[in-house]
Amino acid sequence: MADHEASKINHDNHLLLDQPLLRLPYELLRKNFRSAHFTVEKESTTLNKLLKETAKRSLDSKTSPEDVVKNLDAMIAKMRGMKRKLSTYADEETRLYKQLDARVAHLRELSDMHSVEDVKYEAWSRKRLDRLLVDYMLRHGYNTSAQALANERQMHDLVDVETFLTMSKIRESLENGSVAEALAWCNDNKKELRKLQSSLEFLLRCQQYIELLRINTISKSVEAIAHAKKYIAPFQEQYPDEVREMAALLAHRPTDKDLPPKYAAWYSPDRWSKLASTFVEAHNKLLGLPTFPLLHTALSSGLSALKTPACHGTQKTTSSSQPGHSQTSMTSSVCPICSIELNELAKNVPYAHHSKSHLDNDLLLLPNGRVYGQAKLDEYAAKAGLAEGQVKDLVTGEVYSRAALKKVFA
Amino acid sequence: MTAQATAMEALQKELDRLNRTPGLSATIDKVDKIIEMLTSVKDQIVQSGMDTHVASMSITRTQNPIKSTFEKINDDLKGVTATQRKLGKMLDKHFPLKDLPSEHDAMADQEPLINRAISMHLLREGQFSVASTFIEETGDAATLDNVNAVIEGQDQANASDNYDDEPMDEDRDDDDDDEDEYMSPLEGVASLGFRQLQNLSSLQSHELEAKFSQMYTILQDIKSRNLLSAIEWARSNSVELEARGSNLEFELSRLQYVWLFKGPSVNGLPDNELNGTAGALLYAQQNFWRFGNRYIGEIQQLANAQIYARNLSESPYRHIFSTETAFADVASSFTREFCSLLGLSAESPLYIAVTAGALALPLLIKYQQATRAKGTEWTTTNELAFETPLPERMLYHSIFVCPVSKEQTTEQNPPMMIPCGHVLAKETLQRLLKGTRFKCPYCPAEGLEKDARRIMI
Repeated sequence: MADHEASKINHDNHLLLDQPLLRLPYELLRKNFRSAHFTVEKESTTLNKLLKETAKRSLDSKTSPEDVVKNLDAMIAKMRGMKRKLSTYADEETRLYKQLDARVAHLRELSDMHSVEDVKYEAWSRKRLDRLLVDYMLRHGYNTSAQALANERQMHDLVDVETFLTMSKIRESLENGSVAEALAWCNDNKKELRKLQSSLEFLLRCQQYIELLRINTISKSVEAIAHAKKYIAPFQEQYPDEVREMAALLAHRPTDKDLPPKYAAWYSPDRWSKLASTFVEAHNKLLGLPTFPLLHTALSSGLSALKTPACHGTQKTTSSSQPGHSQTSMTSSVCPICSIELNELAKNVPYAHHSKSHLDNDLLLLPNGRVYGQAKLDEYAAKAGLAEGQVKDLVTGEVYSRAALKKVFA
Repeated sequence: MTAQATAMEALQKELDRLNRTPGLSATIDKVDKIIEMLTSVKDQIVQSGMDTHVASMSITRTQNPIKSTFEKINDDLKGVTATQRKLGKMLDKHFPLKDLPSEHDAMADQEPLINRAISMHLLREGQFSVASTFIEETGDAATLDNVNAVIEGQDQANASDNYDDEPMDEDRDDDDDDEDEYMSPLEGVASLGFRQLQNLSSLQSHELEAKFSQMYTILQDIKSRNLLSAIEWARSNSVELEARGSNLEFELSRLQYVWLFKGPSVNGLPDNELNGTAGALLYAQQNFWRFGNRYIGEIQQLANAQIYARNLSESPYRHIFSTETAFADVASSFTREFCSLLGLSAESPLYIAVTAGALALPLLIKYQQATRAKGTEWTTTNELAFETPLPERMLYHSIFVCPVSKEQTTEQNPPMMIPCGHVLAKETLQRLLKGTRFKCPYCPAEGLEKDARRIMI
């Protein structure tokens, strides 16, 4: 068996599931730094200008010393404000550096391992599983569980709790019918969203408009028209059809009888959950996060690789744990796909492809049609304390004479 | 050093450099300086009694230092930007972004089942408090309904099992689906564990938690060299264990004997008549009768060792008395047996599946890229179209690939043994048939269709 080959850790490709591990803190670091830099540039220009003006006016005796002091107070306040902002950015920077350090260290552990049989690999792989579990929990909004697991395993620097908590908050606010948080996020990420050609902001603006129309009073309709002029009309070129529909919505109110489905859809409360998923999609794309939880990716590939035709069959085999099924301690390990934890989940994935048989040596056929390797039959007979010349079926427990066995050439 | 290790080292170096580059905290220090300068100008003006000249002079003089401080800040920040860019390039070079399969998420609609798998994983890992938080947060009702639905489904499947003890009739038509469905009297006993588990689940998994917590208590005892709780558990489950052909109870009792035999200087137990060689003998007299003749040879060896007590390390029995790995060994047998009686595998299936997933993923991606390049579509079939080799210990079932058709046998296309002892897939055999006869593709033997028999590998 080319087992050695299969156990080798392929370093070029072993970290596919771990790509966001370094990418995300790096992206966040860049973004955080850009924001900090922007703040410094903006505030320094304003301060230099104010300073210059005050000095000039003071020299020209256009400003009294009292006013100079007043301006100085304003400048000091401005600088204190900037310092506060920068402290927040600096804290975030420290946190991200710490994360990057921890993550590089975690990945470096793997680079010393060459085989999955390495005892250290199991610990590493368990840590990876914990990371994937936290990621799964965060993406589904099971935030308390995610934090509990991260705490328990002391792996805060290896998971992205903060990022997903922020995302969760915005998603929930959308699900509860509020666009403000999502719009603020759009504003913070304007450039990037434009690059991604995300429709999120446009859809949020439409929703604001729709909510004004929903109230269905004259004053709100006037407000809606003003809103549309300011926030929806600029998207005319990008989304001509939708903009036209928005205009037509003025004539189609939610209470109308026989509201055409096209317009009814805009008024539907489902819009909010759609907005929430549009937001999540944009958020993940922007930060380079995979579209679905990495646990899904790992599971669909893992379940298939492990699955065999026997796992969902009606026959009982030595590695399944179907109910009412006696397995012996000889079948040292229950197959994970047969185990009730995963059996149902694995039903819809294809089973693994094998081009070579994988069988025990010296196969023997029992009179009941079952085939086992000689070594296993011998060991089980010894463990069961059978008389000389007898064997016991590992699955059914039937006892046969050795003379009744036939050699199998498979 | 592997390429990976080199890359990681380079990355670490870049990160260290970034950590040393004056970043935002250095900027804050400089902003403090600016605040200081502004405050001192203000103080000068106030102290001068609001003198016009002082005001204009001091504020004019402070312009340049503040401007240059801002310039320094800008230089610092530009330096950081450059270093960050380098880190980014390093990431791109050594860890180029590779696309994950993203078109089709087979797990998308499986949230309840995944949640259940996670709950059970956390319980079996001993993460009881996280597990209960998770079960609560995912809405235990949904998760547990699901558990019950699955289990009921299996129950029904079970009920339709043929409980007939009669061995398989060899001449029966192969198409009869029920032919393999017979159950030995032992199976009823072994299924007890599973039935128990079904009920446990309906009790909001608290009892499953209790079971695992019992397992952890016992494992903890074994770790601290106390076998009594493990022996007690094995004794109360001796019928099920024996049906599985497990030696656990004897292994534990034998280790207890060995441990007592070693005496207080090794085992740290009280130095009295219950300890040492005499204590071991007493323990044997009180307990070994339970095993009858089953382990008579081993028990004789244990008794004979008494003679060599003074110089055990030179005796023929020294291997039995080496306890280096013995406690770890019984701990892993115990875990295996404990989980098996619950119908669960000893290792977490979720852990195995995710590890196997990481190993198989590169092949999956490679295959998807190849099919995309060819323009052929990804079709969901029963079998993966490419091989995903896993380490030996991750192969749990025997796999038979027909040497002629190169196909894996399934229930629809089972392995058939022909009279010469060779095995072929059923479809292969049918293709070889000339009338009712066929010739073995591997040896000169010929056979009749009716003499080929379906086997279970």
